[in-house]
Amino acid sequence: MADESLLSDDLLRQLMATGHVDILVGVPTLNNASTVVDVVRMAQRGIAKYFPRARALIFNADSGSDDGTPALVRDATTDDTGTVSASRPLRTTNRITTPYHGLPGKSSAMRVIFAVADLLSADAVVTLDPNVTSVTPEWIPALAGPVRDGNADLVAPRYPRTATDGPLVTQLVRPLVRAAYGWTLSEPLMGEFGCSSRFATHCLDLPSLGAGTTSDAVDLWMAAEALVKGFRPAQAALGLRLLGPGRKRPALPDVFQQVMDAVCACLELHDGYWLGRGAAEAVPCFGTLNGAAEPGPRPDVTAMAEAFARDVAALHPVLQTILTEPTLAGVTAAAATPARLVYDDDLWAATVFEFLLAYHRAVMTREHVTQTLLPLYLGRTAAFLMQHASSDPASVDAAFESLCLAFERAKPSAAALWTKA
Amino acid sequence: MTQMVAEAVRQASVNFMDTVAMLLPRILITASVVAVGWVIAWALKWAVRWILIWSRFNHGCERIGVSAVLKTADLPPADHLVSLIVFWLVWVGFLLSGVDVLGFTALEGMVRSFALFVPRLLVAIVILVLGVVCANFAWRATLIAAVNARVPSPRVVSGCVRALVLILAGAMALDQIALARTIVLTAFAIAFGAVMLGLAIAFGVGGGGIARRILDHWFPEHPPTEQEEFRHL
Repeated sequence: MADESLLSDDLLRQLMATGHVDILVGVPTLNNASTVVDVVRMAQRGIAKYFPRARALIFNADSGSDDGTPALVRDATTDDTGTVSASRPLRTTNRITTPYHGLPGKSSAMRVIFAVADLLSADAVVTLDPNVTSVTPEWIPALAGPVRDGNADLVAPRYPRTATDGPLVTQLVRPLVRAAYGWTLSEPLMGEFGCSSRFATHCLDLPSLGAGTTSDAVDLWMAAEALVKGFRPAQAALGLRLLGPGRKRPALPDVFQQVMDAVCACLELHDGYWLGRGAAEAVPCFGTLNGAAEPGPRPDVTAMAEAFARDVAALHPVLQTILTEPTLAGVTAAAATPARLVYDDDLWAATVFEFLLAYHRAVMTREHVTQTLLPLYLGRTAAFLMQHASSDPASVDAAFESLCLAFERAKPSAAALWTKA
Repeated sequence: MTQMVAEAVRQASVNFMDTVAMLLPRILITASVVAVGWVIAWALKWAVRWILIWSRFNHGCERIGVSAVLKTADLPPADHLVSLIVFWLVWVGFLLSGVDVLGFTALEGMVRSFALFVPRLLVAIVILVLGVVCANFAWRATLIAAVNARVPSPRVVSGCVRALVLILAGAMALDQIALARTIVLTAFAIAFGAVMLGLAIAFGVGGGGIARRILDHWFPEHPPTEQEEFRHL
């Protein structure tokens, strides 16, 4: 049940005036003035076009923006292009924007959104990232539709990915989560998602929502929680995901640390589940991925490979305490030829699982374990880009799949060692 | 004359016999104390070793980096070393107690001095162990952070950090046992000051280019380029 202390009196009054809603679109914000208006407009268009009879609420939980984001959300008109006239909703789409109390961050915002969904008995909850500039009205039915039709409790997004797009997801998080949890979830770090009120209420009841390590990567935690607790997962093909300029993004070491901490914390939390899982089950995907992914900025692969060679040599004494001898020998051999860098799938899968075991056994401060993986991840990314940066999308997808299968092959031995630790 | 010599010899032999009669029981007591002490020290050594093995003490030492330092210094494993220290402390304690029984004036203060020295020695050992742990932690943290921040020569930087912490801990330990305190403090102050001055000169004058590159890296004048905008998520 919703903890009403999360919601201010003023907000409660507004919610009571709104009453029951069929669809709740949650937009957690923090200084997103440059992009949030378009996101809200697209949400309104999506509701008007695809759910004209539905009672809907666009709810903005703001973490304390100082750039006028809440006012922009409040004042956002549907748009001035005349699109609305072609698909006028039969009901008014309400819009509420509120600051929330507690620690700033998406986790706390999600708690408020779920509390509102619970209070208004929303049939489907959709959460949108306010910093995404490629949101289209079609994202709303894609994320809410499977939930409203009773086909899913959690709808994760799917985006077309190139070799250079989001390697932290394609090279590390996706294959690791898939092999461990045994579900073919493409985007475990869901930027946007849809869920049922049953799942929202479940998350709301858990004290871990917004607490500890999970607060930094709440999306991953929610995806894992859905898989573990038997909520029906699904995926929706959304198309390209482009981020606006927005606020300054954290540096790679901080992002990497945050993501790895969250992945490892989830695996620690759910080891009773994933240790017993076998080969990955397919998560149904609604819609088809269309629109070729944009290649995006290309990194200097040669410099990355040379840095990898230097980093492996520098970190050798630390790697000795984390990796087994064969894996360390493989990594060292790979780093010995940066001009023709080859860091194959099986070696990378073994590396990641051995780091995971080192984290589990706490062979050193856990922060040091995850931070030591960063140079190896960059080496693997450089090797993958050397091989696939110019490949066609089908070959890149095949390479992603091959990597996932390598992780699945490496899992049983890692699981056996996990239980012995 | 002959009678006087005979009397002197007799007196000397009587005195000798008296001394022997007086010392023999003490020597026997000393020997017993030393022997019993050795047995107790030996038993304690094995009891401590067994407890340390049972509590996976070596595993803990490996995690905090003490084992690696012991290995580098060609010392036995941590559990063996601790049990040896216990053995020698206990046996030397008994040994000195035994010597004290002999009643030699010159050796009278040794037991008291030893009793006062043992706690200081233990504190010094604890300081050394903590120093090794801190040095290893600081070394690893510096190494990983330097590698991820693209600082040039990360192993040199992290090695210097470790050496500094170890030197500091060593000086503190020596100060604790009051071993040549003045020399230790003076040597430490001179060495530390010289190293710092040398580093500052080397970094600022000799390595001006490196210093500039590092400062440019930490405080860039220009906004990130498209190259740096490569998105990992």
